[in-house]
Amino acid sequence: MGRIDHRPLSVLPTAHSLFTSGRAKSLPPWFAIASAFPPSQALVRPQKRSGKKSKMFMPLPIAYREDKMREEFFGDHPWELARPRVVLEGDGRNEGWDWSTGVVQAGRPTDGESVIQRWLYLHRGPPKLPKYQAYDIARKEFYRVRHDEDIERRVAHEEALHTGAYFGLGPLEVGEILEDTAYTGWKYWAEQQIARLDRAVQNSYSAVPDEVEGEGVEGEGSVAEEGEGKEKAM
Amino acid sequence: MISRRLILRQGRRALSQPFNTQYRAYTRVQTSTRDNAGLEGENEVDAVKQFFERQSAALAASQPSASPTQSNEVDVKDAEDTGDTANYYHLARHQKKSNTQFGSAQDPFYKPRELITNPPKPEDITLELLLASQSHLGHKTSLWNPANSRYIFGIRDGIHIISLEVTAAFLRRAAKLVSAVTEAGGLVLFVGTRAGQDRCVVKAAELSGGCHLFERWTPGGITNGTHILGQCKTKVVDEHEQELPGYQNQLSQRAALKPDLVVCLNPLENYVLLHECALDNIPTIGIIDTDANPAWVTYPIPANDDSLRCVQVIGGVLGRAGEAGKQRRLAAAKEGYLTYQPKQQLKKPTFADLAQEKLHVEADLPPALPPAPTPASHASSDGEHLVQ
Repeated sequence: MGRIDHRPLSVLPTAHSLFTSGRAKSLPPWFAIASAFPPSQALVRPQKRSGKKSKMFMPLPIAYREDKMREEFFGDHPWELARPRVVLEGDGRNEGWDWSTGVVQAGRPTDGESVIQRWLYLHRGPPKLPKYQAYDIARKEFYRVRHDEDIERRVAHEEALHTGAYFGLGPLEVGEILEDTAYTGWKYWAEQQIARLDRAVQNSYSAVPDEVEGEGVEGEGSVAEEGEGKEKAM
Repeated sequence: MISRRLILRQGRRALSQPFNTQYRAYTRVQTSTRDNAGLEGENEVDAVKQFFERQSAALAASQPSASPTQSNEVDVKDAEDTGDTANYYHLARHQKKSNTQFGSAQDPFYKPRELITNPPKPEDITLELLLASQSHLGHKTSLWNPANSRYIFGIRDGIHIISLEVTAAFLRRAAKLVSAVTEAGGLVLFVGTRAGQDRCVVKAAELSGGCHLFERWTPGGITNGTHILGQCKTKVVDEHEQELPGYQNQLSQRAALKPDLVVCLNPLENYVLLHECALDNIPTIGIIDTDANPAWVTYPIPANDDSLRCVQVIGGVLGRAGEAGKQRRLAAAKEGYLTYQPKQQLKKPTFADLAQEKLHVEADLPPALPPAPTPASHASSDGEHLVQ
């Protein structure tokens, strides 16, 4: 036996020979239908392309003319890729979209793919517009849609605020609070430092040098420690 | 308000303790302040809560069969514990019921459970359905098995794309086979041992009257069936699938049942089973992804075996096909003819056999051979079926 076991593919002739030789008393229940619909030819490599012999049976890459357009659109609008998108399909019957009417289609969210389809229609469909003229029309329609969405969102926000909604602090406000805290902490620390320096200067002019040196050292140490502690607390 | 916050803060400890008089006092204070606050409009939250309570009380009054509800003077403890929750629940149910007529209907959309509860029929196979179920997605090109090159449509984003037309054609052919086998009283075994495949496998077996396997295949189940499945209980059924008594003595002498057709949803993990089928000349149907060897099975279905949705579609279609075949067989039996060749291996039970079996049943004794619990299976025999 070679590397490939052909027994699964040859159940039909085997069953037949088992029956005719008398090993099996009856034909199996699948024999009639398997004779009518035998297993397909197995282990066949259809020729996919001509030319280089080693590549002759290799599958070909699938390319669509939209691919370049997608590359171009999403290169120009990379943040469109950051928008969440549902890729789950219902029953797969997605017909009924008419790209001659515009970039907005009922029943599907308007996104980058809508621009591509609209662009494709304007460029390759009946309007036959030049590529970049079609692109401009499609993307400007799309900008209009996004702009309208922004306005809608802003109005909804204002309405909500008017009727008593509270959305908490915004990112800028949170940032301001953090900045203020850091600044106040630094200010406290700086005041401590200035006070320490002043004390050191005054001590250097005092009358009792021996004691003062000791006190000064102790005082320095304690103030510094206190300052560090405050800094950490900030 | 302060007292309510106190309850909230102490809530964890209060729950573990019995509801003592102290907390009862707090809640009484709370209810009284709540009434005042609601009337004066000081606290909007309380007003809203009160409104809901009034609503639910009215609803409960209109529905006497609903759970016991509390009036305002009823024990505070009950109101805090269960009454409010039940009332809110009934209110939500009521609102849901009265609001269903409004809004828009989104249809058709994908309901994952429907692939199990109501699987598609072979007539429902469309390229759109297969595409939506991601049956076209193969594996990375470097992982391919070149024997699959005729099922592959092309390369996209580094993976092989399986041709939907080929998938549809091979799936229809497999459905015909399953349908014909169940019509001929054959036993179909549905196997899907990957996580999440159990429900669709069980459903397919249930529809087609076959067996299912969603755990590991015990090696030797076919080639060494006498030892592994020999102790399983079998029964003889007539053409209407009614059990016939009196055959236990004969059945204990018979070899273990074998499937007539095996449907394997994940061939990669079930090589042993497929090999045993090949040794025993049993045809197999399998989902062949681009990294699987199509020569392992008799009837490959080139599709994505890693997508649960795709596997459920394929398993459901084959289960429905089996159901159609079974119904044809039963309908023919009702009209008085058989769609299969009866085997001449079982003898009609004698009076002694019947009496012995009846005796066993009445005395609750084990029959001649003690039965072991197994998944139900089903096979054709002497104008009757053997059911294991």
